Amino acid sequence: MAELRKDPIIGRWVIIATERAKRPDQFGSHSEDTMPEKPCPFCEGRESQTPPEIFAVRPKPSPANQPGWDVRVVPSVTPFLKIEGDLDRRGKGLYDLTNGIGAHEIVVETNQHIANMADLGEEQLTKVITSYINRIVDLEKDERFKYVLIFKNYGLSAGGGRVRHARSQLIATPVNPKRVKEELVGARQYYEYHERCIFCDLIKQEIEQQDRLILDMDGFIVIAPFASRFPFEMWVLPKKHSCDFVKLDMAQRAGLARTLKKCLLKLKKGLNDPPYNYILHTAPFRREKTGYWKSIDNDYHWHIEITPRLTRVAGFEWGTGFYICPVPPENAAKFLREVDAG
Amino acid sequence: MSELRRDPITGRWVIVDTDNPTRPHEYEIEPPVWRPGTCPFCYGNENLTPPEIAVYRDPNTAPNTPGWQVRAVSNKFPALQIEGELDRRGLGMYDLSNGIGAHEVVVETPYHNKDLSDLTNAEVEDILRMLCQRSLDLAKDQRFKYIMIFKNFGPSAGASMEHPHTQMIALPMVPKNVKEELLGAEEYFDYRERCIFCDVIRQEISEKERIITDNKYFLAFCPYASRFPFEIWIMPKKHNSCFMHLNNEEIPFLAVVLKDIIARLKKVFDTPAYNFIIHTAPLDSNGHTDSYHWHLEFMPKLTRVAGFEWGTGFYVVPTPPEIAAKFLKEVKIE
Repeated sequence: MAELRKDPIIGRWVIIATERAKRPDQFGSHSEDTMPEKPCPFCEGRESQTPPEIFAVRPKPSPANQPGWDVRVVPSVTPFLKIEGDLDRRGKGLYDLTNGIGAHEIVVETNQHIANMADLGEEQLTKVITSYINRIVDLEKDERFKYVLIFKNYGLSAGGGRVRHARSQLIATPVNPKRVKEELVGARQYYEYHERCIFCDLIKQEIEQQDRLILDMDGFIVIAPFASRFPFEMWVLPKKHSCDFVKLDMAQRAGLARTLKKCLLKLKKGLNDPPYNYILHTAPFRREKTGYWKSIDNDYHWHIEITPRLTRVAGFEWGTGFYICPVPPENAAKFLREVDAG
Repeated sequence: MSELRRDPITGRWVIVDTDNPTRPHEYEIEPPVWRPGTCPFCYGNENLTPPEIAVYRDPNTAPNTPGWQVRAVSNKFPALQIEGELDRRGLGMYDLSNGIGAHEVVVETPYHNKDLSDLTNAEVEDILRMLCQRSLDLAKDQRFKYIMIFKNFGPSAGASMEHPHTQMIALPMVPKNVKEELLGAEEYFDYRERCIFCDVIRQEISEKERIITDNKYFLAFCPYASRFPFEIWIMPKKHNSCFMHLNNEEIPFLAVVLKDIIARLKKVFDTPAYNFIIHTAPLDSNGHTDSYHWHLEFMPKLTRVAGFEWGTGFYVVPTPPEIAAKFLKEVKIE
């Protein structure tokens, strides 16, 4: 019989198909990703094809918007939100709106034309992580913003588009996204009662139970979450408690780079280079204004959620927030543990 | 500049691209690709499905043989199973339950290639009647807390069968999004003693710009904080929290609106895949009846939703609902 499982943090129920569980080879190929590629504006030497850079990691001093960079951050050519202007929140009858102020940036992860982040070197990944941190810290200075979302769409069906050059996106928003808020509220409620971080408890239980554990290395664990929404969903969590991604020191950044590389390689090798998304979940900007709470340093725990796109999400999932996962996370974890990723 | 809009019921924010709205012809519609094989929902193949649970059929025809108009059967590959006792338990910090529930399929018509908009009014009325009838029956089962009615049309909307059908899942708990909607509506009601959905209807009727069509009992409009381009909500004008309590006078009016919006979408786009979901009050809805209002949410599948949207609940809508409504309203249908 299938199992219904509840995510302990935000209370979302999922159906885990335990009997009709799909095997990894039943998801088919990702043939749509063989569609013709568009010319790449992100390779070294084509700096003039993007808007001027906001930030770059340059090993030796070299002028902006010229070759010589390792990681480069540029504004999106098709931004969801725009940086110029004052925030204008208002009502319209019973509706609420605000103008679309925000930042939308692209983090180009390599100067080489490499598609999958899994194929970047550990040092390169460390530079990407450092670039994320640099940008978040800079955007925090802008009082209009409440949150920075960092995410990645890899592959066409994950929304990655037709340019196959490894990159992440960053969006600074003037409101806290709903899903982020739910997670924060769930974590706070748990803390109020238990005086413990729910993620720390979760890490302890996963290390004890072992069956959903994929990696345990360099200060991080990678698990298939108990109430996975998607087959082969993975969460990367730092074992040491911290609510804020930007607080990572250099050693931790290198540890995260190694862990991330290893789990992305497992995904690539084990599931035939599938499309995937990942999203960084970190604490919102902690300004002493509306929405601020004092226990957030203790109650929240940053992490990264990786979701391969192996199935189509149907109407049922949309409308209800109730997901049907065709692979039990225990099976997914076992499979991914056994994939040799060097 | 784009706009950030907040759904007044759930508090969800969406980004609406009011700057460079995407026009209908700019969406790439994926042509449907179906797996070949015998269709178990066609006449003569009744033995390929589990036996019918409820059916409208010609007099003097035997169950599970041709001669039916609408047919409700168990899903052959159910997400949940009907047999057994509910067993909720904990596992350390985690909660789980065994997969008890009902998963039924309502085969809408014997015609393999007729979508709702191709059927007669009377045929669509029968489908709606069947959905109510099955809901009322499943509601008697004390193990169930919620009945979800939804349709996936087209492979990119998650349909695995081409033959038109609607699905029903009875659940032993209230799903999260439903709970949020109920809670949002309740909070609004507590303060104002008015139903938020009734207020939405009032505002939409007075502003007009998001309305596609309406009749005596129903209103179809593109919601203010749409998550998807060309998203459409159908709402009963008369306050009613439960879909299954739809009365015989209203059913024909709902059939007309439903057919109408699908016909319009098919004119504006070339047969897009779509999903719809009926949002209705939980089965133990005492107390929700004043604040909650059932409705149908209809979502054409025009864009690929990226992980960003799933992970954050923050949607980007490339066509503002006012413009979508205008396209749908102005298109000529027979």
